[in-house]
Amino acid sequence: MICSPPKSHDCIVLSNKRLSENSIYLTRLHCPDIAQNSSSGQFVNIKVSNELSPLLRRPFSICKVDKAEGWFEVLWQIVGRGTTLMAGYKVDDVINIIGPLGHGFHIKSGIESAILVGGGLGIAPLPFLCQDILEKSSANIAVYVGVRTKADLAMAELFNDFDINIIQCTEDGSAGIQGYVTKPLIEKLASKSSVPPVLFSCGPEVFLKRMVDISSEFDVEGQISVESVMGCGFGICVGCPVEVQDYAEGERKYKLTCIDGPVFDSREVLLVG
Amino acid sequence: MADLSVSIGKLKLKNPVLVASGTFGYGQESRALTDLNALGGIVTKSVTLKRRDGNPPPRIFELPAGMLNSIGLANVGVDTFISEKLPFLSELSTAIIANVAGSTPEEYLQVIEKLDEHDSISAYELNFSCPNVKQGGLAFSQDPKVTQQVTRMLRDITEKPLIAKLTPNITRVSEIAQAAKDGGADAVSLINTLVGMAVNTQTRKPQVHTVTAGYSGPAVKPVALAKVFEVVQNVDIPVVGIGGIMNLNDALEFFITGACAVQVGTANFIDPSTGEKMVGGLNDYCNGNGIDAISEIVGSLKL
Ligand SMILES: Cc1cc2nc3c(=O)[nH]c(=O)nc-3n(C[C@H](O)[C@H](O)[C@H](O)COP(=O)(O)OP(=O)(O)OC[C@H]3O[C@@H](n4cnc5c(N)ncnc54)[C@H](O)[C@@H]3O)c2cc1C
Ligand SMILES: Cc1cc2nc3c(=O)[nH]c(=O)nc-3n(C[C@H](O)[C@H](O)[C@H](O)COP(=O)(O)O)c2cc1C
Ligand code: FES
Repeated sequence: MICSPPKSHDCIVLSNKRLSENSIYLTRLHCPDIAQNSSSGQFVNIKVSNELSPLLRRPFSICKVDKAEGWFEVLWQIVGRGTTLMAGYKVDDVINIIGPLGHGFHIKSGIESAILVGGGLGIAPLPFLCQDILEKSSANIAVYVGVRTKADLAMAELFNDFDINIIQCTEDGSAGIQGYVTKPLIEKLASKSSVPPVLFSCGPEVFLKRMVDISSEFDVEGQISVESVMGCGFGICVGCPVEVQDYAEGERKYKLTCIDGPVFDSREVLLVG
Repeated sequence: MADLSVSIGKLKLKNPVLVASGTFGYGQESRALTDLNALGGIVTKSVTLKRRDGNPPPRIFELPAGMLNSIGLANVGVDTFISEKLPFLSELSTAIIANVAGSTPEEYLQVIEKLDEHDSISAYELNFSCPNVKQGGLAFSQDPKVTQQVTRMLRDITEKPLIAKLTPNITRVSEIAQAAKDGGADAVSLINTLVGMAVNTQTRKPQVHTVTAGYSGPAVKPVALAKVFEVVQNVDIPVVGIGGIMNLNDALEFFITGACAVQVGTANFIDPSTGEKMVGGLNDYCNGNGIDAISEIVGSLKL
């Protein structure tokens, strides 16, 4: 896949919308270079402040792009200082962003069936993945969305533009299927459709660990997008290791989430979750 | 145009702004983010004899105006450094300073023996001060006798300039600087990271896997300046200032205190063009203030 070196961009905020009462936001940024030269699963590193605190950039998956109009979107939630500042972004603000970064999802030509599974904010890279799969193949796509509560299902609306099957779950049962998203997914996989799907997932580490087990249980290819604390986002701090099993060499070693990932083959990564 | 060039022994730098070891990878990662040739020099990630995988995660924790890191000298090892990283660096028109680390004095020696034939390497920075590995590192700059012996041993095998990188985790850093000078070092650079720690009060676990880690960033600048001041006042050796340098004003503080060059570290993670911008800013500053050469500022502290 592409390995052009990362660039820095001054991006203009086109919109910054709060999607849910649980402080989930969708931010649209003008940047033709990122819109046109990124692939799904890649991320951007946002300079959230011009002060010394928060000091480091904050990484976010690219959620959607419009190549023609030259914008991309990020979907995120307020969890701390950086994201609190991002909630204040206004139209026409100029934000410095490094990207696109990392290795995204690998979409095989001729893929016939794709199942996309997002846990919470792990939904973020999946709309772009839908776009990518539909552009590159005629695969049948199903999206499994798992969130805590009804309000957060606002994120599922990001898939409305696509003609795909969306399965929604809430942990508290306030809408959709009650419980973890893995439940209906397992039922689906157990029903043995004729074409083995590829499982693409993104979410918290415990959830990803479950997805790794499910991929191996049903013997289907899995790709997972992992997170790590990041110092730089482009390979210079060596601060974002993920432990992997190198089957060829027969040893465990570290790869870097930011440049070798964030998307990995689910058989490769050794998660602790 | 002001003359920004500096000489540290035989090491000639076109300007006094370098990037610090471990905060700039091997240069190539940032090639589209900054003009590498604008820098006075690039100090490489520490190079050890064998590839090192580094410490388990989490390796990094952010603090207000600073960060903790415990990378554990993860690097590709000297052979791969020479075959895969050095060719790119060799093409640049900026000084390449190889930062060398090891667990034993012999390891430093072996690494330098392998690097020494490569003309593209202008100098060595000896990492005597990594707080994040169990063996070696720090030990070499906490005891003046050891510092002097190891420096002398390396001085005897290479003609290239040696810069001893010192730890601030010691009462009198000037004693170590003197020992490095006595061992034949051409310069000292300081500071490496301060030993620091942070705890997650919910899980009651340390925020970084190795419990203690190296503290860097703008928060450490006052400590770094004080250490540079101590060495400049007490030892007759060129000093390269490092620690929390984010912008031109920070760099000027180090020059005025007596550092003949500076290294930009943590700032690169946020903006790898920090050094390039600093060089431009320094030029404008000199021109705007009637300063013909950077040497006019160095050590101009009024006491
Ligand atoms: C490759 C990558 C892609 C990401 N994509 C998205 C995305 O699309 N949408 C989204 O909402 N978030 C995403 N994240 C997580 C996002 O980067 C963090 O939520 C953000 O950095 C928090 O910043 P803050 O200053 O608000 O929080 P801080 O004040 O730094 O921390 C607040 C809390 O958030 C936790 N936190 C901080 N950084 C991370 C992190 N990297 N991963 C998980 N938890 C973290 C901290 O442990 C702490 O509990 C991604 C992370 C990575 C590494
Ligand atoms: C993530 C990280 C990795 C580092 N790795 C090395 C290293 O390999 N060798 C070394 O001599 N110093 C290393 N350092 C120390 C820096 O070169 C520098 O001395 C220190 O960070 C203080 O400068 P700063 O505050 O500008 O970052 C590292 C620092 C950081 C933050
Ligand atoms: S975040 Fe710095 S190397 Fe991955």
